[in-house]
Amino acid sequence: MSDAVNDLPEATEHRLEELERGLFTSDLSVNEFLLVKEIGFHPVGLVMGSSIYHTGIQTRKWSQSQELTKLTEAMYNARELAMTRMEEEAAELGADGVVGVRLDVNYYEWGKDAAEFIAVGTAVKAEDGVSRRNALGKPFTSDLSGQDFWTLHSTGYAPQGLVMGTCVYHIAHRGLGQTLSTTGQNVELPNFTQALYEARELAMTRMQDEATRLGASGIVGVRLEEKSHQWGSHTIEFLALGTAVNKGSDTVDLPKPVTVISLDH
Amino acid sequence: MTSPTPEALDLKAVVRRAVAALDGGPPDTYPTTSDLSIDEELALHSIGWEPVELVSGVSIVSIPLGWWNWGQGEITAAAEAHRHAFANAVARLHREAARAGGHGVVGVRVESAVRPTHVEVALVGSAVRPVGATARPEAEVFTSDLSGRDFTLLSLAGWETVGLAVGASFVFAPRRSVGAVLGQQTQNVELTNFTEAMYAARETAMTRMQDAALGLRGTGVVGVSIAEGPMSFASHAVGFVAIGTVVRPGPAGHQRVAPIPVVPLDDAFVAFDARTLE
Repeated sequence: MSDAVNDLPEATEHRLEELERGLFTSDLSVNEFLLVKEIGFHPVGLVMGSSIYHTGIQTRKWSQSQELTKLTEAMYNARELAMTRMEEEAAELGADGVVGVRLDVNYYEWGKDAAEFIAVGTAVKAEDGVSRRNALGKPFTSDLSGQDFWTLHSTGYAPQGLVMGTCVYHIAHRGLGQTLSTTGQNVELPNFTQALYEARELAMTRMQDEATRLGASGIVGVRLEEKSHQWGSHTIEFLALGTAVNKGSDTVDLPKPVTVISLDH
Repeated sequence: MTSPTPEALDLKAVVRRAVAALDGGPPDTYPTTSDLSIDEELALHSIGWEPVELVSGVSIVSIPLGWWNWGQGEITAAAEAHRHAFANAVARLHREAARAGGHGVVGVRVESAVRPTHVEVALVGSAVRPVGATARPEAEVFTSDLSGRDFTLLSLAGWETVGLAVGASFVFAPRRSVGAVLGQQTQNVELTNFTEAMYAARETAMTRMQDAALGLRGTGVVGVSIAEGPMSFASHAVGFVAIGTVVRPGPAGHQRVAPIPVVPLDDAFVAFDARTLE
């Protein structure tokens, strides 16, 4: 672990030291802050990891559907770098987990193919001193809001980690003959359908594999994003993101929900 | 038929009168102005506070020429200008609030911009005080960019709002050599120069924000908002600005808020959509 912490820039040490002495920072809203306190957690600091990454080039065959492994690898690597750096900061603070994680990709004018991958969240620590870290002994991460964290906790579930799967896929173009033969007909385009299915399945499977590695019993709040980034048409990244959870206890503290009708519209 | 052009007001005289009015302090019958919504005002009253006046603080500080063009390390002149602009704007906001009899300013809208030649900061918010309380010295007035509603909620949970903490830093990212650019063309590789510059800017800015919070004797900063990325006018300089409200537990410590979950039975409200006319 000491190696991992040394990976952080020097200036970080001073900032984290101040946080260890009791000051906390957080990008939680007041609502979220109070809800996190409500279930016995205290925010310890705003943690962040970023990496500016240059993605390589991979040639695509015009008429062939295929995964672009080099680009998939780049998207994985860059996100892992950002996430790991964020986790290292949280670990340094002695946090049990990170809530409200935002994982963003920003493109700037630094040149084509260079993007900033950034992970930001609020590190939290249980006030009773009992460790809530995940099966790997690392702080859990989660993209759930403070509200979701409260609800999940009140029903006996504990987040284990933010899990993701990604797949950059090139979808074959249709040949001229194919295009002409289907003109004027209602017909499914099997090559497109199949390619999209395959890419989605690969991304989802990879996400599930990550959850299995954490020993989680389920994944909640899954988002499936499809982005072309800067690769032009026919090349798409499928990204599946969710929070892996585990049932911690059978006690459900969640009060029975009250139904309300607002009279203001 | 054209109406005659109205006589141009002597702006200086108008401003002088307004400033003179501020100096006199508010008489008891002074009407209240505030940009709080009715809901927020009611929420404030529920914890025994009231708005007294809409107050503002503005400052524009220049950055000497040539700082953005070329160099290495931190662009200290820009960070200094940013710090001065915020400090001045907050001081003016506090002065106005203290003169109006407020104990603090809530719902402060922060408008700031970093330009090649200057940093501009404008703060507008509502001065508030416990109902009927007497004026407080300027140094004890607090500022917060939290809404009136958030201020109420924090106060119900036993937390005091102490002030606004700001940290900013601008750093040059060293350019890659032509050889490096060409060599990395086809590779998956982290651009360490940019990553390191971003980290340096961020650590410095966050530390400044934390130092400001400690200086206000706060124990935490909530609702931190961050703005980061390369400067639009100088792509090889990256900036990082963090702003948040400093809080500390009150004498009674943290109080539980015990929320109850609700399920609204309202149907989703569908607003008019111009696309339906197509």
